[in-house]
Amino acid sequence: MTVFNIIFYLAAAIVICATGLAITRQSAVHAVCYLVISFMGTAVIFYILGAPLLAALEVIIYAGGIMVLFLFVVMMVKDQQSPLDKPSRIKQWLPAMILAGISALMAGLLVFADPGNRLRPPAVMGTPREFGRILFQEYWFPVEIASLLLLAALIGALYLGRRADHPVGTP
Amino acid sequence: MKPVLFLLISFPLLGALILALIGRYLSRRAVETIACTTVAAAFVLALTAFLLSGQKAHSVTLARWFAAGSFQVDLDLYYDPLAAVMTLMVTFVSSLVHLYSVAYMRRESGYTRYFCFLNLFVFAMLVIVTSGNLVFLYLGWETVGLCSYALIGFWHEKPEAADAGAKAFVVTRLGDVAFGIAIALLWINIGHLSVSGINDGAAGLSTQAAGIIGLLLLMAAIGKSAQLPLAVWLPDAMAGPTPVSALIHAATMVTAGVYLLMRFFPIIQGSPFVMAVIAFVGVMTVCFGAFAALVQKDIKRILAYSTISQVGYMFLAVGAGDLAGSLFHLISHAFFKSLLFLAAGCVIHALHEEQDIFRMGGLRQRMPQLFWLFLAGAASLGAFPLTAGFFSKDRILLAVFLQPQAVYKIFWAIAAMAAVITPLYAFRLFFIVFFGQPRADAGHAPAPDSRVSVPNLMTWVLWPLAVLSVFAGFLNLPVNWAGNEWLAHYLATVPGAAPEPLASPKLESAMQMGSALITIVMVIFAWVYYGVRIQPGENGETTFQNKLHALFLNGFYLDRFYQTRIIAPYRAAAGFLWQQVDAGWVDAGLDQSARFFLTLAERLRHWNTGRVSQYVSMMVTGFTLILCGLTAAWWYFQI
Amino acid sequence: MTIPFTHMLSLAILLFVMGAACAMTRKNLFMILIGVEVMLNAAGIAFVAAAMRWLDMNGQVMALFVMTAAAAEIAVALALIVCIQRRTGSTHSDRFNLLKG
Repeated sequence: MTVFNIIFYLAAAIVICATGLAITRQSAVHAVCYLVISFMGTAVIFYILGAPLLAALEVIIYAGGIMVLFLFVVMMVKDQQSPLDKPSRIKQWLPAMILAGISALMAGLLVFADPGNRLRPPAVMGTPREFGRILFQEYWFPVEIASLLLLAALIGALYLGRRADHPVGTP
Repeated sequence: MKPVLFLLISFPLLGALILALIGRYLSRRAVETIACTTVAAAFVLALTAFLLSGQKAHSVTLARWFAAGSFQVDLDLYYDPLAAVMTLMVTFVSSLVHLYSVAYMRRESGYTRYFCFLNLFVFAMLVIVTSGNLVFLYLGWETVGLCSYALIGFWHEKPEAADAGAKAFVVTRLGDVAFGIAIALLWINIGHLSVSGINDGAAGLSTQAAGIIGLLLLMAAIGKSAQLPLAVWLPDAMAGPTPVSALIHAATMVTAGVYLLMRFFPIIQGSPFVMAVIAFVGVMTVCFGAFAALVQKDIKRILAYSTISQVGYMFLAVGAGDLAGSLFHLISHAFFKSLLFLAAGCVIHALHEEQDIFRMGGLRQRMPQLFWLFLAGAASLGAFPLTAGFFSKDRILLAVFLQPQAVYKIFWAIAAMAAVITPLYAFRLFFIVFFGQPRADAGHAPAPDSRVSVPNLMTWVLWPLAVLSVFAGFLNLPVNWAGNEWLAHYLATVPGAAPEPLASPKLESAMQMGSALITIVMVIFAWVYYGVRIQPGENGETTFQNKLHALFLNGFYLDRFYQTRIIAPYRAAAGFLWQQVDAGWVDAGLDQSARFFLTLAERLRHWNTGRVSQYVSMMVTGFTLILCGLTAAWWYFQI
Repeated sequence: MTIPFTHMLSLAILLFVMGAACAMTRKNLFMILIGVEVMLNAAGIAFVAAAMRWLDMNGQVMALFVMTAAAAEIAVALALIVCIQRRTGSTHSDRFNLLKG
């Protein structure tokens, strides 16, 4: 039980608790906040698992970019609390719990069945240098595609979000 | 010889084909001429063949019909004395009937169809009689059934005529099934299907095989010849035109069954049991027909039951082993019965389609020519001494009597009793129709002296038949009358025929005396009972033993028996299968399964709620199921 | 000396089913999106864990691309929600049932 392990299990616990809380909040803003915590924990896990660059990117992109965007939009949109449905917690969550439980069980069985999975990988770090080299040498094409994807997403979001009386392009 | 025989059967066929193809474009005269000349030409050719043949048998192959492996069927003709006599009779009577039909059908519109089928019938009958191959014979056999159906149901708008045609066809079909099985058995046992081959190989059959085949052939003959138990179609077949009855149901088709038995006599000889059965069938039918004919009211039905009875005599003769006697009676019956039918047709025609004899009467004065013609026929039917019927029936009774087995004596006794009834019903008919006061017909009471007329052609053709009915006895005059038994000797070369019964002339004379006496007595009795005592308007039948009367009138309820015991259950079963099984299970099953899919779709429709959350749930459910499947597969391959 | 691979994977599995449950259950459009985010994150964890197990950098590269795709997708999805809100005035998923059978 090294420090390594303790940090991992601790971060894992935080992630799970934060996610659990996030998905059960009534208010979306609360959920987003908890999710930010969850992603922070994930970043720690990434670091433990030997991907420091990814850990940083997780914080920057995921927690810092995506979740913030989420917050902006949640607060911008008038969120109606629809009076229609107020089913009891249990009744609403029961099917999901059952299905999730079964899936997790099955997947767990499959995972734990293979003895090769029991071994503990050595602790290595994937250096940013190495990461960058691979990214821009072997995976240069997917990177270009990803950038195009982002461009398309950008234009799409821009267009979708415009007001009817404010056409795109005008201030 | 070959061209003569080929033309003999081809001429009627040619006539039928011409009429079938272009008959509708020809005038009535042309149609009649074609029909009559083809059949007359066939008669001339039959005469020629008879004269040319000597007393030998000729085998002629016309063509190969079909061959399948080692099984081959040729269109063979086999012309021996038996076939010679039959062809002569068939063509002669057919010619006369054709001429008669010209006048009889002069006001009908379907005459082309009529003559076409009549010609086709003659062709088919000639095929049966001259065929040398069993399958070819079967072709003719079926075709006469077809023509009979078409001709009986000629007035197909009348439901009883259409039903009668169908009934005739279906009932004879029962016999045809037996015939088909017999053909197959003969092929298996003997290996030949040619007539000569079969007759030669018949000696090699075991008694059992001969018995079975013989019984099957008997069944076929029973169907075609309207014997018990398949006699029910003949009385109803009277719904057809009278010339059809004269030709088909007196002279030709009903004798085809007898001919079949005679042709394959060597097989039947191989089994004494079968011969006894044939005699039994014959004698039972004789009684059945005679008693039923005694009380009928419809003139044609009397003659129909009489035909059934007389053909029974022919069967009896075959069963007693006397081919010549059977053929002799066949010929004489052809003459007098067709004469009677045609004369009845004249009577019916003259009285405007009246068929109830108790509404006729006093025709002696009104139709004098017909009086003598009818008398000739009735006398021959009743076996009045010196007529053809007398000699032929006597020979049959003698042959039955001479058979060694004891059972034949019983048959003889029964047949003799029926021979008592026969002149009774024949002269009952004669006296009621021709004597007494004329009844009212078509609304007005005629004067006793007024003449009723029929077209001359219809009466002229009857004279040859009348002459032959009376004098055809000379064909086979027995020895004790200083005759030479020409027919019996002529048939000597036919397989199975014995030239003369081994009887002492004294026995023969004694029997003839006895039967002559009985006949004369019965004629007088009929005169007393039916002739003198008939008053106008009176039914003439006393209420004495009404039930017996009804029994005879309804043909011993044979029809009703079939109707209730066989047809009604079959109908019920068919109805059940139709309504319950087919419509109920099969159709409803299909409908239900179709409707099942409809309701399934209707219920499944509710899964489309339009709610996103539900769709996501469905996806996750599917994902879960896949995972479970994968785990199960892994588990299975682990274990 | 480090964590067994099974543990890493079970963490990923847990997070994934939690995200799936959230996406299934919640009616608010935002919460559905959050569920999707959680699922994507879990996938990323699984990739990185596999990269460590097999000492292969490809896993981490894949995790990066997952992140990229998630970002693009979120942007467009949120813009769509804004659009929907403007049109129908609600972000409750049960309202949008025009495809009801």
